[in-house]
Parts: sequence; C-alpha cells; structure tokens
Amino acid sequence: MLDRRAAPRTKIPSGIDAAWDAIVATLVSLAPRRTMCLRRAARVLELEKPMSELAEAELRRRVLTMRDTFRRGRESRAERVTAFALIREVARRQVDLFPHPVQVAAGIAMESGCVAELATGEGKTLAATLPVTLAGWRGRGCHVITVNDYLATRDADSMRPIYEFCGLTVSAIDSEMKPPDRRVAYQADITYCTNKDVAFDFLRDRLALGQLQGLPSALASKIVDGAGGGTDRLVMRGLAAAFVDEADSVLIDEAVTPLILSGEARNEEAAQAHLDAHRLAEPFEPQRDYRVNPRYHEVELTRSGRAKAEAICEELGGIWSGRRRSEELIVQALTARELFLLGKQYIVEDDKVVIVDEFTGRLMPDREWRDGIHQAVSAKEGLEIQPPKDTLARVTYQRFFRLYAKLAGMTGTAWEARRELWQTYRLPVAQIPTHRPCIREHQLDRHYVKSDDRWSAIVGSIREIHDQGRAILVGTRSVKASEHLSTLLDDAGFEHQVLNATRHKEEAQIIAEAGKTGRITVATNMAGRGTDIKLGRGLADCGGLHVISTERHESGRIDRQLFGRAGRQGDPGSAMAYASLDDELADRHGPKWLRPMLRGNGGRVRGRVGRLYFWLAQRHAERMARQQRKAQVKTDDWLEESLGFAGREA
Amino acid sequence: MAIDRPTFHESWYRVADMKPQLRSAVQTYRQQYRGDMYHVLRDPSNNQFFRLTESDYHFVGLLDGDRTVSEAWNETIDELGDEAVTQWEAIQLLGQLYVSNLLQADLPPDAQGMFERHRKRVRREVSSYMMNLLFVRIPLFDPNRVLDQWVRWVGWIYTPIGFLAWAALLVVGGLHLVGRGEELVTGADPQKLLATENLLMLYLAMAVIKTIHEFGHGFACKHFGRSSNTGGEVHTMGIMLLVFMPVPYVDASSSWAFRSKWHRALVGVGGLHVELAVAAVAAIVWNRTPDTSLVHALAYNMIFIASISALLFNGNPLLRFDAYYILSDILEIPNLAQRSKQFLYYLVKRYAYGVKRPRQPAHSAGEKPWLLVYAIASTMYRFVIMTGIMLFVANQFFGLGVILVVVALVTWLFVPMGKFLHFLFNHGELVRVRSRAITVTAGTLAAIVVLVGVIPCRDTTRAQGVVEPQRLAVVYMESDGFVDVDSAVQSGANVDPNSRPLLTARNRELETSLADLLAQQALASVRREAASEEDQAVVQIYNDQWHTLQDQIDRVREQIEQLRVRAPFAGRWVSPNVDQFEGAFLRRGTAIGMVTSTHGDVIRVVADQQLGPRFADEIGRDAKALRAMRVDVRVAGRPSAEFRGVIDDIAPNQTHLPSPALGRLAGGSIDIDPEDTQGIKTAEPFFEVRLVPDAEGRLPPLHAGQRVVARFHMRAKPLAVQWYRAVRQLVQRRFQI
Repeated sequence: MLDRRAAPRTKIPSGIDAAWDAIVATLVSLAPRRTMCLRRAARVLELEKPMSELAEAELRRRVLTMRDTFRRGRESRAERVTAFALIREVARRQVDLFPHPVQVAAGIAMESGCVAELATGEGKTLAATLPVTLAGWRGRGCHVITVNDYLATRDADSMRPIYEFCGLTVSAIDSEMKPPDRRVAYQADITYCTNKDVAFDFLRDRLALGQLQGLPSALASKIVDGAGGGTDRLVMRGLAAAFVDEADSVLIDEAVTPLILSGEARNEEAAQAHLDAHRLAEPFEPQRDYRVNPRYHEVELTRSGRAKAEAICEELGGIWSGRRRSEELIVQALTARELFLLGKQYIVEDDKVVIVDEFTGRLMPDREWRDGIHQAVSAKEGLEIQPPKDTLARVTYQRFFRLYAKLAGMTGTAWEARRELWQTYRLPVAQIPTHRPCIREHQLDRHYVKSDDRWSAIVGSIREIHDQGRAILVGTRSVKASEHLSTLLDDAGFEHQVLNATRHKEEAQIIAEAGKTGRITVATNMAGRGTDIKLGRGLADCGGLHVISTERHESGRIDRQLFGRAGRQGDPGSAMAYASLDDELADRHGPKWLRPMLRGNGGRVRGRVGRLYFWLAQRHAERMARQQRKAQVKTDDWLEESLGFAGREA
Repeated sequence: MAIDRPTFHESWYRVADMKPQLRSAVQTYRQQYRGDMYHVLRDPSNNQFFRLTESDYHFVGLLDGDRTVSEAWNETIDELGDEAVTQWEAIQLLGQLYVSNLLQADLPPDAQGMFERHRKRVRREVSSYMMNLLFVRIPLFDPNRVLDQWVRWVGWIYTPIGFLAWAALLVVGGLHLVGRGEELVTGADPQKLLATENLLMLYLAMAVIKTIHEFGHGFACKHFGRSSNTGGEVHTMGIMLLVFMPVPYVDASSSWAFRSKWHRALVGVGGLHVELAVAAVAAIVWNRTPDTSLVHALAYNMIFIASISALLFNGNPLLRFDAYYILSDILEIPNLAQRSKQFLYYLVKRYAYGVKRPRQPAHSAGEKPWLLVYAIASTMYRFVIMTGIMLFVANQFFGLGVILVVVALVTWLFVPMGKFLHFLFNHGELVRVRSRAITVTAGTLAAIVVLVGVIPCRDTTRAQGVVEPQRLAVVYMESDGFVDVDSAVQSGANVDPNSRPLLTARNRELETSLADLLAQQALASVRREAASEEDQAVVQIYNDQWHTLQDQIDRVREQIEQLRVRAPFAGRWVSPNVDQFEGAFLRRGTAIGMVTSTHGDVIRVVADQQLGPRFADEIGRDAKALRAMRVDVRVAGRPSAEFRGVIDDIAPNQTHLPSPALGRLAGGSIDIDPEDTQGIKTAEPFFEVRLVPDAEGRLPPLHAGQRVVARFHMRAKPLAVQWYRAVRQLVQRRFQI
C-alpha cells in the first residue's frame, strides 16, 4: 500500500521456474538454520550479566537510545545482539519472564524472516516480543497475528509492560471494534490482531481507495480532495511487518478459501429460482437420478437424472429454459439436501441459516457458502432466501501475506509444511530445539474397523489411566464427536469437562485447568489453542498428562499439535491415537486397494497395514488440500495478470 | 460441484462494472469453419489474430464502451441462454483480449502490467527459439511496399489466364526433359549432388529459388487481400535457420483473415506454384545450354530444388511448411497440429486416465478422425525425419552431430518427459484420477519395459551367400582334337564315367602317328624275327626298339582314348555352350564344361565384421552348439523357397569372396576393395560360414552359383539388448569409435 518499501514478490513461479523453485525449496530447508540461530542466541546470552547489573534508569536510557537507532534504520549486527539482550533483561524485570536460550533463538529466527518451529508450551508469546520490539522500533507498524480475539487481547496485555518500557505503544484489535477505533489501534507501534481482522481491514481499505492506485495518485487525491476524502478513510497504515502466531494454521490451513468482502446484491429473481429448484428436485432419487460422491463432497446427475431435469424444466421457461442453468440449480438443491445436514454443517437461528464450523463447533453468522449452496440450503429449510451477496473485494491469504515487506512466523508444527511455506511466502523454517528434552511417551496407534469399537476402547483406556490419577485430554475432530464421547463418559460415570463453548476465554480457562490431577477434558483439536496446560501439583510424579486423539485429522500437523500438549517443557506425559475405518478421513482419502488387507482380530485393524493405511490417507488428504491451494494461487495470479484493465486487486 | 460450466464466478466483481470495448483499430472478419461461424479479430498494428466463437463474439460485440460488462453479459444470457458464455469464460475472454492488446478500458493504462507482459512475451519467444533451435526465425525487412508496387504487374498470375499460362509453361518444361531422363537421373546421384564443389552452387540456387518462393506467397497474399478487400498486408520477411541453414521466409499470416478458404489455401500454394514454374524454366535452360557451361549446371540444380525438394518439404503436410497450412485451410481445421496433439492427449486423459470431463479440443465430430490421423502421422514422421537429419548431419560433421543429438534429446525427449511428469503429478485436471493415471502410466511403462527389456525376442541377422556343389570338376580337353559333330552330351544331363562320353573328338595327327608307330613296330618285329637266328645282341636291340614303340603306341592310344571325354564322377554335366564346340578344334587344356555332384550342395555365406564375431560371442566355438543354431535360408529372387541350413564350419579372416555375385559391384551387399577389378577382394576381411542344407526338410532345387540369403537365429534376447547393440554398432561403423 502506501509505504511499501520494496515491491514484494507477488507471483508464484511457473514452468521451469517452478521446477527450479522446488529445488531451491529443498535446498533452503537443508540450511543449518537451527545451529545458526542457536549460535547467535549464545552471543545474546553472553550479555546477560552486564545487562542484569544495569540500573533501571540506565536500562531505560539504553533502550530508548536503541529505539532511535532502529528508527533511523541504521542498526548494525552488534546492535541487534545488544537489543535482544536489552529486551530480554526488560522482560525479566517487567513481566518476570526471562526468555530461555531457545526462545532467544526463536526470536532471532523470526527477526531473520523465518518461521520458527518451537514446540508447544515453550513460550512463543514471549519469544515473539524480541523481534516484535525491534519491528516496533523501526516505526512502520508491526502486526502480530493471532488466531482469535482472545489471544490477541491476552498476549497484548501480558506483554504490554515490556513494550511500554521499550517506548512503544501496543494495541489489540477486537472483531467488534468500529473503524475509528481500529484506525487508532493500527496507529500503535505494535498491533495484535487476528488474521481475519487484518485481512478484512485491508480489503475495506482497498475498497475505500477505489481506483487510487499507487502512491502518486493517492497523494494527488489528498491534495485535490483535501481532508476527509481518499486516504483519510483508510484504517491501516501499511503492511510493513507481520509476525504470525500459529503460522502453519494461518498461512496454510486457513488459506484454502479466499477472503471475500461482500455487500448487498442486486439480483433478486434468483431467490425464487432456488425455491423452485428445491421443489423440482424432490422426485429425484439417489443412485438412479444422481450419485453422491462423499470423497469430493459433491452430487452428480446421472443420465436419467439429466433427462428428468430436462423434462421437468421444459415447461417452465424463464431461467429454466437453459439446460445448463437448470441442471446447475437442481444439483445445488440436491447438494443441499444430501451433503448439508441440519445440526452438523449448519443450524437455523433467527430464521437464518448459520454455518457451524465443523472443527471448533463455533457459529459463523457472517459467513456464507458459495456457489449458491447457501441459498439452496435456505430453500431446503423453507426460510426466506437472502439473495447471494455480491463480492466487493476478494483476496487470498497467499496474496495478502505476500504483501508484507517483512513476514515471519512461529508455530509448533511447521516442518511438514516447509516447502509450501517457502514456495508460497518465501519463508524458511527454523527448527528450534526444546528447552528441556521431551520425555513424552508416544504409544502405538490403535485402529478399529467400527467406530463404536473405537469409542468403547477409548472409554476403557480413559478408565485405566484415570485410575492412576493422571489428567487426561481427549481431542476430537468435530464437535459432534466430542458430544458423543461426553455421553459415553456420562454413562460410564466419569466426571469430565467438555469444550465446545464458543467463548475463547472460557475455553482457555478449561484448557488451562486440564492439567489438574484426575481431570478429564474432552475438546476438539482446535479448541483452546495458545493456552498452555500446566501440570497440577503432584501430577508429574504419576505420569503427567495423557493425550488421546480419537480420530486422525486431515493434516498430520494438527495431530502433532494435539500430542504436543502432553509432556511440555520436559514434563512427563504420554499420547495415544485412535482411529476407525468409518472415519471421514479413512473413508474419503484411504486407498481403496489396501482395504481388503485391513481386517484383523476382534474389530481391530491389522497393526502395520493399518498404520500404512492411515498414513497414506492423511498424505492424500494433505496433498489434495495443497493442490487446492496451489490451484487457487494460480487462478489468482492469472487474474492479476490478465485483468490489468480492471485495476489491481492488491 | 459437479457442474461443467458454472454460470457465476466469484471474481466477477472485478470486471462487472468495467466498460471496456475493442480498440477502435481492431478489424473484424467473419469466417466459416466446418459450418460454424467464427469471428477473427485482427490487430493491424502487429498483425496478430484472435479467433472468437459466435457466442464469444456475441458478448464481446456488445461491449461498446457504454454498457458495463455485467450488462453485456446479462443481455447475452437473455438472448443465447445455454450457449452464452459463463461469467468465468467471460473473464477469461476479457483477460485474453486484454493481454493481446485488443481491448481498451476506461482506466488509465496499467503500464507496469504492460511492460510485464511484453517482457514475458519476449522471454517466451526467446525460449521458444531455444526450444526450436532447428527452426530459428530472424526477421529482416518489411516487403509490404515492394509488394504493393509490383502486385498490379504480377497479380494476373493468379487469374485463370495466368493459371493456363503457368500450366503451359510446366508442360513445355516437361517436354524438354523428355528423352534426357537417364542423364537427369545419373546426375542426381546424391554422392555427386552433394559433392563439395557442387554444394555452393546448390546453395546459391536454393537461395534464389526460395526467395522467389517467398515472394510467391507474398504476392498471392497481396493479390487475394486486395481482391477480397481484406488487407493482405505482408510486413515481415526474413531468414529462417532451418537446421542451421539460412533460408528466407515471409509472414503471410494476414491471409488468415481471408473469408474464402480457397484464397487462404492459394496463398499457401503460392510458393510452390512459382517454384514449379522456375523448375520448368530451368528445365528449358538446361536442355538448351551446352553440357559444360556453368549455366547448365546451375539450371540442373534448380530443376531439382524447385521440383523434388520443394514438393518433399513444402508439399508435405506433416511438416509445418506450406502444405500444412493448405491442408488445415482446406479441412477447415485451424491450428491442426496443435489441436491434433491436444486431441491425442484428450483421448489418453479421457479413456486411459478416466478424467471425467476433459476439454474436448475437437469442435465437431467430423474433425476427430482428421485430428487423430494427423497426430499419429506427424509424430511418427517428425521422429523419422529428425533421426534422418541427425544421422545425415552427424555423418558430415561429427561434432555438430553430437550437439544436435544432445539438443534433440533435450527438446524432444527430456523436456516433454519432464512436462509430462509434472502434468502427471501436479496438474489440477488429474486431481481425482491421479492414482489411476499414475497406475496406468506406470503399468504401460512397465509393460513396455517388460516387452522390450525382459522378454527375450527372436534375434536374427541376415547375410548373403552362394550355393556351391559339394563336388565340382571342370572338364578340360586332355588332347588336342576336332570335336565330332553330334558327339556332345547336352548340358544338364546326368552323366557318369561309364556312360557315353561327354564329347568325342578326332585327331588325325594322332591317328596317323599311331598308324606310323604301328608300322614301325611291325617292322621292328619283322627285323627281330630275322635276326633271331643270327646274333642275340641284335635281337635284343630290336626287342628294345619294339618295346619303345609299344610305349609310344600306348601313349598315343591313350591320347586318342582321351578324345572321348568322360565324366570324372557321376553327376550333372554342365556346359551350356557345348554345342559350339562341335567341329571345332580344341587344344589340350581347354575347359569344355564341368561336372557337378547332384546331391550335397554347400552354401558359402559371407559374414561381415558386424556379424562374424557374434558367432563366437554368442554361440561359442563349440561345433555342436554351432550345429544346433537355427539358420533359415532363402533363395534370392524366390522368397517362398525357404529351407534350413546347418553351420558346418566358420573360417575367419577371409579376403576373397566365393563369388563376385556377393560383392557390391554385382549387386551384393559386401564392399569390395576399390583396387580390385574382378570384384572378389573385399574391402575388409570377413568370416566365411559354410552351411550345409538340412537334408531333412524339403529342399528346393539348388543350383551352383545361386545367391541365397541366410538368416541366423542368435540366442533370443530382449529387444532393448538388441537395439543397444545395433545402435552401438551403427555409431561405431559411422564414426569409427
């Protein structure tokens, strides 16, 4: 935007360049970043003693001097080391947290534009303060991107003393905030915000800028229109630096769908068409007229279905006169009927269809399905149909984050995605070791043919471990599964906590308490991210936290995040995964040819073959998601190149 | 969603409110292709073309700068219904038009994007040069004004009168060649044609002819462009490096805008048309000039270049020269080559990989067979031609040949293979069928590998040989004499020593001397009788004399007896011209024919240095193994007569052929030492393989001196091994390494 320092790389290479890029991506991941970061961290640690002897006022003076150095952009490498040592000392005095060597190494990795892979519970929030302060000192604004509002506010508040001592202002953006407040928040040196907020603010700014592209025209408009027009409506002040927490989840998992800013539509007649489509689709029978493809989540008309559609629509005329258009509407209606289930994918609230996030159970009132599905589902429920909203602006996360002049990230699990992070965002991954060696015991996975067998095995396992007095965290893939397990546990007479609340704060509290002796917590995999589970008193002696994964997730990284909750910072702990062949992952992505070889004794799946099967299924799911993202970026690039006459999108 | 062409698209908002329109300079032409209407947009500033379907144009045509894209699209939908472009198609269309600089919008131009596109296009052109090193084009000048000035003088050529004149010229030229055909052909020996002193001449002639050829296209384009009022501008002429050899080219692509496909085709024919006329003129000149003059030689070369080579290259639709464009115009299939390739991919995707709805490159059912046939034929042809060109060039210049092979391997093998693998593993089209696609591909590859690399196949090699009887004796006259009339046995008869003589002769001298001797002997015996009562010593003398005479008599008698020539052994009498001897005087030592044994022929096969050593390598020196080897023998000229042979012996290091018939001089396959006038001494030593026909099978009648082809069945081995050996031997033989 306005103060972009250098034009960032905005295009994904293709052809031979892509092949070269893939080779480079491999080479990049081979670089000994870990050793480099640790060696530089050692230099910072050498300064520990002189810093600790500084008087408060002297420390303050040196910090402010350092700020001016950075603001001028004249800092040397040695000064950067000193700066890190200073901030470390500030953190010790202000918030009573003294960054470990590995946290310093992670900070250094981020400062050099990497994604730092730091195991769960190692204190990413604290590690981030080091490079974030530096970016704040540079004075061009710095966004710390978190996955939800609660974490944004919490992290901003907990680290505020450090930043303020360093002469920086901090703010956090809440999704409820109004534009004037947002503008103030973005004016701060350091802004904590969620990826959605920051991207939407960006889109809204783009819309406000309209056709004013580039610095000259924006400045010209400011001169001509005076205050109140053009750039004054903007909320943000540029995309200078971003530090992304849970980088893999934000930059990769959530980047599957583009972010769309929509407005009220002008097309009204479509609503009636969807109602008609629902009615017309009634006589269609599965298998005979259409087939449901669970693997790709779609419905396809058969030959007889096509004939039927043609016969029905012939008499109607209007929008139904075109065969393609009418088939499209009927397929939408059938998709809504077959693949979108009340209570699973959506609920009805205030006579409106509200999407339920399958993984977190959260309601998404401001989101809509695309391709007319939302209207078709509304028609199915007999609700008043909101016309499909018009897209006003659209950006993919891939494009958006590539606009930052400086991008870095941190997460517990990035290594698996290192190639994609490099190819898409030019972010190398630095694996930082744990502060203390990890002694988590990872037991062999257990796979069952039937889902019910799996659940009873899990309940049995919970009983066994609960009797040892240990704390148990059970991660489920969906809200539905956690409710199901909760019923089973009630029947078995176990007291437990279920995490499907939609309030992040409560979530965090429940998660934080999950480490108490004898506690059983059932939560979705994604719930309570960013909050540590600290072990209760005496729990370490009887084996610490035990984590049970009840179902494999589509991405291996998310499984790993769940396991990482046990055995943090050298605590004892154990983890174990269950899965069944009924699971969506196995069903949709498992290789069919392996199926006949899976059946073992007593409802169990044969060990090695089973592990291979689920591993392959997960790989397939990951690959499909990756390809989907790639296709999206490709389309994005094509649009950017070919629609030059329509102005640049970003 | 399983919808082929979803109506809406989420990026629509980006174009919906725009008011673009075609640039005012853009010209539009309507054309029919296979009954469908198309609209060709032409950008006169750079002569670029863009073809739109009827429904595309319906949408684009509505964009007048006043309507928004969204309004135009809605109107299209209302009018065309299903046929109308979808939102995404409309976006793509606008994008392509914009990228081709055919569209102007109400926005300040996106200069950065323009430069980026220009940079990209230049890079693409450069890389396509690199990928097509063998066909590099270098534009030189703009011939448009020259053509404009001259076309009114030249244009009549393309009228019916012009055609008649042209045909008459060809006939006259042809008539001049009548009767000198042999001269024409002997001169056309490639060895002579490509001899160094001729090469420069050949090239000069070619440069002249090809320039005329290109002007032929240019004028045709101009002429038909003017007559149909569709421009026909020709702005680029230059030099194309065809396999590193500079030849002129012209860009007559403005003919694509012609409405009549015949006019388009005629522009394509224009070059050949004028070239054939040149050939006819050259034929007349050649016929009318003295044999030794330079003009004569030049005309001679021109006849060939302008007729045969022109037809071979420009007249071949499988190469992307003139005939290709003519064919694609006449078939009404634009982009024939590209689309035929796509069609082949389409078939693979659809049927082998099971892709649900691959994009169908054929616009109508009628195109499909053409596309399929063209795809297969051109691929095979290209492969053959390229291999030929490479071998030829490599033969002439070794280093260049190696570079060419490397370049060809990269461009035609590694790059397409890499692209294919990338497609197989990454392309979005295969997302759902990737495992099947990979399985099918791997399976096909595996099948090929097994077929070629694992399964042993018959490995046979041929060599020529001659039939010789096992016993053969030349029959000579042993005494001088006049052959008796009617005494000779007819050639071909079976004879044996006891049957009637092969031939009888008389020698009166011998008979006289016999009579003389007999008289002397009689005298000697009388004298001996008389002396027997007197002196024993005298008797002894006469006795000795008598005995001496008896010896002489015996010898003469023997000589007389030898005049009755007999067969040395039982066999067939071969003396086709024996009748001529009758009544003639034959000296002692004159060969009069031969007797050959009637059964038990032997075949002497000449195995060259490629084949000979393989016997030892593959079969071993063991006589038993050699005997076990299967050998099929065919008689030259009678392919149906086949029988088995057994290897009797192999003699290495032979230098003289068993028969000149095997040498190259006499039409055989063995190179002969150029010094040897008899055609028997070979250029390099060979292995002689003696075969005995297998008596078990039915033998066709064999005749001594007959040429046969023996096919040796080596140990069966996979094809890959065989090919590898063949290539190595080829390289070795060609390049002596």
